[in-house]
Amino acid sequence: MSSDAATATIDHHFDPTTSTGIPNKKILMWAFLASDCMFFGCLISTHLIYRLHPPPGTPPARQVFSIELTSFSTFILLMSSLMMALAVNAIQKGNLKSMRWSLLTTIFFGCIFLGCQVYEFRNFVYEKHLTITNSILGTTFFTLTGTHGLHVLVGVIWLSGMLLYSFTGRLTEKEAIDVESMGLYWHFVDIVWIVIFTAVYLLEYI
Amino acid sequence: MSAPATAVPAQGHALEQSKFWIFVQIAMLLAVITGLELVTVYLPFMRWILFTVLVVLSTVKFMFVIFYFMHLRWDRVFCTLLFFIGLVLAAATMMALLRLFGADASKPLAAAPAPPAVAARAA
Repeated sequence: MSSDAATATIDHHFDPTTSTGIPNKKILMWAFLASDCMFFGCLISTHLIYRLHPPPGTPPARQVFSIELTSFSTFILLMSSLMMALAVNAIQKGNLKSMRWSLLTTIFFGCIFLGCQVYEFRNFVYEKHLTITNSILGTTFFTLTGTHGLHVLVGVIWLSGMLLYSFTGRLTEKEAIDVESMGLYWHFVDIVWIVIFTAVYLLEYI
Repeated sequence: MSAPATAVPAQGHALEQSKFWIFVQIAMLLAVITGLELVTVYLPFMRWILFTVLVVLSTVKFMFVIFYFMHLRWDRVFCTLLFFIGLVLAAATMMALLRLFGADASKPLAAAPAPPAVAARAA
Protein backbone atom coordinates (compact mmCIF):
# COMPACT_ATOMS: atom_id res chain seq x y z
CA MET A 1 0.00 0.00 0.00
CA SER A 2 2.64 2.50 0.97
CA SER A 3 4.62 1.62 -2.16
CA ASP A 4 1.49 2.39 -4.23
CA ALA A 5 1.27 5.79 -2.59
CA ALA A 6 4.96 6.39 -3.21
CA THR A 7 4.70 5.57 -6.92
CA ALA A 8 1.22 7.05 -7.48
CA THR A 9 0.96 9.67 -10.24
CA ILE A 10 -1.54 12.38 -11.07
CA ASP A 11 -4.40 11.32 -13.35
CA HIS A 12 -4.23 13.93 -16.10
CA HIS A 13 -7.44 12.76 -17.73
CA PHE A 14 -9.77 13.17 -14.73
CA ASP A 15 -10.68 16.18 -12.59
CA PRO A 16 -12.97 15.32 -9.66
CA THR A 17 -13.75 18.99 -8.99
CA THR A 18 -15.77 19.43 -12.21
CA SER A 19 -19.18 17.94 -13.01
CA THR A 20 -17.92 16.37 -16.25
CA GLY A 21 -14.73 14.98 -14.75
CA ILE A 22 -12.81 16.92 -17.40
CA PRO A 23 -10.60 19.91 -16.51
CA ASN A 24 -12.39 23.14 -17.47
CA LYS A 25 -9.40 24.40 -19.44
CA LYS A 26 -9.56 21.31 -21.64
CA ILE A 27 -13.29 21.74 -22.33
CA LEU A 28 -12.70 25.40 -23.15
CA MET A 29 -9.97 24.54 -25.63
CA TRP A 30 -12.01 21.79 -27.32
CA ALA A 31 -14.98 24.15 -27.65
CA PHE A 32 -12.73 26.81 -29.17
CA LEU A 33 -11.23 24.26 -31.60
CA ALA A 34 -14.72 23.15 -32.64
CA SER A 35 -15.54 26.77 -33.51
CA ASP A 36 -12.22 27.20 -35.30
CA CYS A 37 -13.11 24.12 -37.38
CA MET A 38 -16.11 25.99 -38.70
CA PHE A 39 -13.99 29.07 -39.35
CA PHE A 40 -11.46 27.19 -41.45
CA GLY A 41 -14.26 25.18 -43.05
CA CYS A 42 -15.67 28.41 -44.47
CA LEU A 43 -12.29 29.58 -45.77
CA ILE A 44 -11.53 26.22 -47.39
CA SER A 45 -15.03 26.07 -48.89
CA THR A 46 -14.59 29.52 -50.41
CA HIS A 47 -11.31 28.53 -52.01
CA LEU A 48 -12.73 25.30 -53.41
CA ILE A 49 -15.88 26.98 -54.72
CA TYR A 50 -13.85 29.51 -56.69
CA ARG A 51 -11.68 26.69 -58.04
CA LEU A 52 -14.79 24.98 -59.44
CA HIS A 53 -15.34 27.69 -62.05
CA PRO A 54 -12.19 29.81 -62.25
CA PRO A 55 -12.78 33.07 -64.11
CA PRO A 56 -10.86 33.68 -67.34
CA GLY A 57 -7.31 34.84 -66.84
CA THR A 58 -6.80 32.88 -63.62
CA PRO A 59 -3.19 31.68 -63.49
CA PRO A 60 -2.95 27.86 -63.55
CA ALA A 61 -2.33 26.83 -59.94
CA ARG A 62 -0.17 23.90 -60.97
CA GLN A 63 2.35 26.27 -62.54
CA VAL A 64 2.35 28.54 -59.49
CA PHE A 65 2.59 26.05 -56.62
CA SER A 66 5.77 24.27 -55.62
CA ILE A 67 4.72 20.86 -54.35
CA GLU A 68 8.23 20.03 -53.14
CA LEU A 69 8.40 22.99 -50.78
CA THR A 70 4.87 22.40 -49.54
CA SER A 71 5.57 18.72 -48.89
CA PHE A 72 8.65 19.66 -46.91
CA SER A 73 6.73 22.16 -44.79
CA THR A 74 3.97 19.57 -44.25
CA PHE A 75 6.55 17.09 -42.99
CA ILE A 76 8.06 19.75 -40.71
CA LEU A 77 4.66 20.55 -39.20
CA LEU A 78 3.96 16.86 -38.61
CA MET A 79 7.26 16.49 -36.78
CA SER A 80 6.50 19.58 -34.71
CA SER A 81 3.23 17.91 -33.74
CA LEU A 82 5.19 14.86 -32.59
CA MET A 83 7.50 17.02 -30.48
CA MET A 84 4.49 18.79 -28.96
CA ALA A 85 2.93 15.43 -28.03
CA LEU A 86 6.23 14.40 -26.45
CA ALA A 87 6.38 17.70 -24.54
CA VAL A 88 2.93 17.06 -23.07
CA ASN A 89 3.92 13.48 -22.29
CA ALA A 90 7.07 14.70 -20.54
CA ILE A 91 5.34 17.25 -18.30
CA GLN A 92 2.69 14.67 -17.40
CA LYS A 93 5.52 12.52 -16.08
CA GLY A 94 7.01 15.51 -14.26
CA ASN A 95 10.06 15.60 -16.55
CA LEU A 96 10.57 19.34 -16.94
CA LYS A 97 13.92 19.13 -18.73
CA SER A 98 12.57 16.81 -21.42
CA MET A 99 9.51 19.01 -21.79
CA ARG A 100 11.71 22.09 -22.35
CA TRP A 101 13.74 20.37 -25.07
CA SER A 102 10.59 19.10 -26.79
CA LEU A 103 9.02 22.57 -26.62
CA LEU A 104 12.16 24.14 -28.02
CA THR A 105 12.17 21.68 -30.92
CA THR A 106 8.48 22.36 -31.54
CA ILE A 107 9.18 26.10 -31.67
CA PHE A 108 12.12 25.48 -34.01
CA PHE A 109 10.02 23.42 -36.41
CA GLY A 110 7.21 25.96 -36.19
CA CYS A 111 9.63 28.73 -37.17
CA ILE A 112 10.89 26.63 -40.10
CA PHE A 113 7.29 26.20 -41.26
CA LEU A 114 6.67 29.94 -41.01
CA GLY A 115 9.89 30.60 -42.91
CA CYS A 116 8.74 28.26 -45.68
CA GLN A 117 5.41 30.08 -45.83
CA VAL A 118 7.08 33.48 -46.05
CA TYR A 119 9.40 32.22 -48.81
CA GLU A 120 6.45 30.72 -50.67
CA PHE A 121 4.40 33.92 -50.42
CA ARG A 122 7.30 36.07 -51.62
CA ASN A 123 7.91 33.66 -54.50
CA PHE A 124 4.24 33.80 -55.52
CA VAL A 125 4.10 37.60 -55.35
CA TYR A 126 7.42 38.54 -56.94
CA GLU A 127 8.20 35.59 -59.26
CA LYS A 128 4.81 34.19 -60.19
CA HIS A 129 2.94 37.54 -59.92
CA LEU A 130 0.12 36.07 -57.87
CA THR A 131 -1.11 38.58 -55.30
CA ILE A 132 -4.06 38.81 -52.97
CA THR A 133 -5.73 41.40 -55.19
CA ASN A 134 -4.95 40.48 -58.80
CA SER A 135 -6.94 37.22 -59.02
CA ILE A 136 -9.58 35.18 -57.23
CA LEU A 137 -7.06 32.38 -56.79
CA GLY A 138 -4.69 34.79 -55.07
CA THR A 139 -7.39 36.19 -52.81
CA THR A 140 -8.68 32.86 -51.59
CA PHE A 141 -5.25 31.25 -51.38
CA PHE A 142 -3.56 34.02 -49.43
CA THR A 143 -6.57 34.51 -47.15
CA LEU A 144 -6.71 30.82 -46.28
CA THR A 145 -3.01 30.08 -45.92
CA GLY A 146 -2.32 33.49 -44.40
CA THR A 147 -4.92 32.87 -41.71
CA HIS A 148 -3.40 29.48 -41.05
CA GLY A 149 0.05 31.07 -40.89
CA LEU A 150 -1.24 33.57 -38.33
CA HIS A 151 -2.52 30.69 -36.24
CA VAL A 152 0.93 29.09 -36.41
CA LEU A 153 2.55 32.39 -35.41
CA VAL A 154 0.24 32.70 -32.39
CA GLY A 155 1.12 29.11 -31.50
CA VAL A 156 4.84 29.80 -31.73
CA ILE A 157 4.48 32.86 -29.48
CA TRP A 158 2.41 30.85 -27.00
CA LEU A 159 4.96 28.02 -27.01
CA SER A 160 7.80 30.49 -26.45
CA GLY A 161 5.94 32.02 -23.53
CA MET A 162 5.34 28.61 -22.00
CA LEU A 163 9.00 27.69 -22.45
CA LEU A 164 10.09 30.86 -20.64
CA TYR A 165 7.46 30.25 -17.94
CA SER A 166 8.91 26.79 -17.32
CA PHE A 167 12.09 28.45 -16.02
CA THR A 168 10.23 30.31 -13.26
CA GLY A 169 9.79 27.12 -11.22
CA ARG A 170 5.99 27.46 -11.25
CA LEU A 171 5.39 24.88 -13.99
CA THR A 172 5.16 21.40 -12.48
CA GLU A 173 3.32 18.16 -13.18
CA LYS A 174 0.22 19.61 -11.51
CA GLU A 175 0.09 22.35 -14.15
CA ALA A 176 0.41 19.88 -17.06
CA ILE A 177 -3.12 20.83 -18.17
CA ASP A 178 -1.76 24.22 -19.31
CA VAL A 179 0.78 22.54 -21.57
CA GLU A 180 -1.83 20.05 -22.74
CA SER A 181 -4.26 22.82 -23.72
CA MET A 182 -1.53 24.53 -25.66
CA GLY A 183 -0.72 21.19 -27.27
CA LEU A 184 -4.32 20.80 -28.39
CA TYR A 185 -4.12 24.16 -30.16
CA TRP A 186 -0.85 23.23 -31.87
CA HIS A 187 -2.18 19.87 -33.05
CA PHE A 188 -5.27 21.60 -34.40
CA VAL A 189 -3.07 23.90 -36.46
CA ASP A 190 -1.43 20.74 -37.82
CA ILE A 191 -4.68 19.01 -38.74
CA VAL A 192 -5.93 22.13 -40.51
CA TRP A 193 -2.75 22.08 -42.57
CA ILE A 194 -3.37 18.40 -43.38
CA VAL A 195 -6.70 19.45 -44.92
CA ILE A 196 -5.25 22.52 -46.65
CA PHE A 197 -2.36 20.50 -48.13
CA THR A 198 -4.81 18.10 -49.75
CA ALA A 199 -7.61 20.50 -50.70
CA VAL A 200 -5.51 23.43 -51.91
CA TYR A 201 -2.29 21.90 -53.22
CA LEU A 202 -2.64 18.21 -54.05
CA LEU A 203 -6.04 18.49 -55.75
CA GLU A 204 -4.51 20.86 -58.33
CA TYR A 205 -2.21 18.08 -59.51
CA ILE A 206 -4.82 15.39 -60.27
CA MET B 1 -6.94 26.30 -11.51
CA SER B 2 -4.34 23.56 -11.80
CA ALA B 3 -4.90 19.84 -12.31
CA PRO B 4 -5.93 18.02 -9.15
CA ALA B 5 -3.50 15.74 -7.39
CA THR B 6 -5.69 12.70 -7.94
CA ALA B 7 -3.43 9.75 -7.27
CA VAL B 8 -3.56 6.71 -9.52
CA PRO B 9 -1.52 3.51 -9.32
CA ALA B 10 1.85 3.17 -11.04
CA GLN B 11 0.13 1.52 -14.05
CA GLY B 12 -0.80 5.06 -15.10
CA HIS B 13 2.90 5.89 -15.23
CA ALA B 14 3.59 2.84 -17.41
CA LEU B 15 0.87 4.03 -19.81
CA GLU B 16 2.62 7.40 -20.09
CA GLN B 17 5.87 5.57 -20.92
CA SER B 18 4.29 3.50 -23.67
CA LYS B 19 2.67 6.62 -25.14
CA PHE B 20 6.14 7.89 -26.06
CA TRP B 21 6.67 5.03 -28.51
CA ILE B 22 3.10 5.21 -29.75
CA PHE B 23 3.62 8.88 -30.65
CA VAL B 24 6.91 8.20 -32.44
CA GLN B 25 5.43 5.32 -34.43
CA ILE B 26 2.39 7.38 -35.41
CA ALA B 27 4.62 10.26 -36.52
CA MET B 28 6.54 7.89 -38.78
CA LEU B 29 3.25 6.55 -40.14
CA LEU B 30 2.03 10.10 -40.84
CA ALA B 31 5.24 10.84 -42.73
CA VAL B 32 4.79 7.69 -44.82
CA ILE B 33 1.17 8.59 -45.58
CA THR B 34 2.27 12.08 -46.65
CA GLY B 35 4.76 10.46 -49.03
CA LEU B 36 2.01 8.22 -50.38
CA GLU B 37 -0.18 11.27 -51.03
CA LEU B 38 2.65 12.87 -52.94
CA VAL B 39 3.09 9.77 -55.10
CA THR B 40 -0.66 9.39 -55.63
CA VAL B 41 -1.08 12.69 -57.50
CA TYR B 42 1.31 11.48 -60.19
CA LEU B 43 -0.35 8.10 -60.76
CA PRO B 44 -2.08 7.60 -64.13
CA PHE B 45 -5.52 6.73 -62.77
CA MET B 46 -8.89 8.33 -63.21
CA ARG B 47 -9.44 11.58 -61.37
CA TRP B 48 -12.18 10.29 -59.08
CA ILE B 49 -9.99 7.41 -57.92
CA LEU B 50 -7.10 9.74 -57.11
CA PHE B 51 -9.47 12.12 -55.36
CA THR B 52 -10.91 9.30 -53.23
CA VAL B 53 -7.47 8.00 -52.31
CA LEU B 54 -6.30 11.49 -51.29
CA VAL B 55 -9.40 12.08 -49.18
CA VAL B 56 -9.04 8.71 -47.47
CA LEU B 57 -5.34 9.22 -46.74
CA SER B 58 -5.99 12.72 -45.36
CA THR B 59 -8.82 11.44 -43.20
CA VAL B 60 -6.57 8.70 -41.80
CA LYS B 61 -3.90 11.29 -40.92
CA PHE B 62 -6.54 13.57 -39.43
CA MET B 63 -7.95 10.81 -37.22
CA PHE B 64 -4.54 9.65 -36.03
CA VAL B 65 -3.64 13.19 -34.94
CA ILE B 66 -6.89 13.90 -33.14
CA PHE B 67 -7.22 10.53 -31.42
CA TYR B 68 -3.59 10.01 -30.44
CA PHE B 69 -1.70 13.30 -30.42
CA MET B 70 -4.72 15.19 -29.10
CA HIS B 71 -5.41 12.39 -26.59
CA LEU B 72 -9.05 11.82 -27.53
CA ARG B 73 -8.41 8.09 -27.32
CA TRP B 74 -7.63 8.37 -23.62
CA ASP B 75 -9.96 11.20 -22.70
CA ARG B 76 -13.66 11.19 -21.96
CA VAL B 77 -16.15 10.80 -24.80
CA PHE B 78 -17.52 14.28 -24.07
CA CYS B 79 -14.37 15.86 -25.57
CA THR B 80 -14.80 13.79 -28.73
CA LEU B 81 -18.45 14.78 -29.02
CA LEU B 82 -17.67 18.45 -28.45
CA PHE B 83 -15.06 18.55 -31.20
CA PHE B 84 -17.05 16.43 -33.63
CA ILE B 85 -20.03 18.78 -33.35
CA GLY B 86 -17.94 21.57 -34.84
CA LEU B 87 -16.23 19.23 -37.28
CA VAL B 88 -19.48 17.75 -38.60
CA LEU B 89 -21.06 21.20 -38.94
CA ALA B 90 -18.01 22.45 -40.84
CA ALA B 91 -17.86 19.40 -43.11
CA ALA B 92 -21.60 19.45 -43.81
CA THR B 93 -21.51 23.18 -44.62
CA MET B 94 -18.56 22.63 -46.93
CA MET B 95 -20.27 19.78 -48.78
CA ALA B 96 -23.51 21.71 -49.09
CA LEU B 97 -21.75 24.77 -50.50
CA LEU B 98 -19.75 22.68 -52.95
CA ARG B 99 -22.89 20.90 -54.15
CA LEU B 100 -24.67 24.22 -54.46
CA PHE B 101 -21.94 26.03 -56.38
CA GLY B 102 -20.99 22.94 -58.38
CA ALA B 103 -24.46 22.68 -59.89
CA ASP B 104 -24.99 23.66 -63.53
CA ALA B 105 -27.25 26.54 -62.54
CA SER B 106 -24.42 28.06 -60.51
CA LYS B 107 -21.99 28.28 -63.39
CA PRO B 108 -20.90 31.84 -64.28
CA LEU B 109 -22.92 33.28 -67.19
CA ALA B 110 -19.92 33.59 -69.51
CA ALA B 111 -19.16 29.88 -69.19
CA ALA B 112 -22.74 28.59 -68.91
CA PRO B 113 -24.07 26.63 -71.90
CA ALA B 114 -27.11 28.13 -73.66
CA PRO B 115 -30.48 26.58 -72.72
CA PRO B 116 -31.76 24.11 -75.36
CA ALA B 117 -34.65 26.38 -76.48
CA VAL B 118 -32.32 29.32 -77.11
CA ALA B 119 -29.76 27.12 -78.88
CA ALA B 120 -32.49 25.69 -81.17
CA ARG B 121 -33.81 29.18 -82.03
CA ALA B 122 -30.26 30.33 -82.82
CA ALA B 123 -29.81 27.35 -85.18
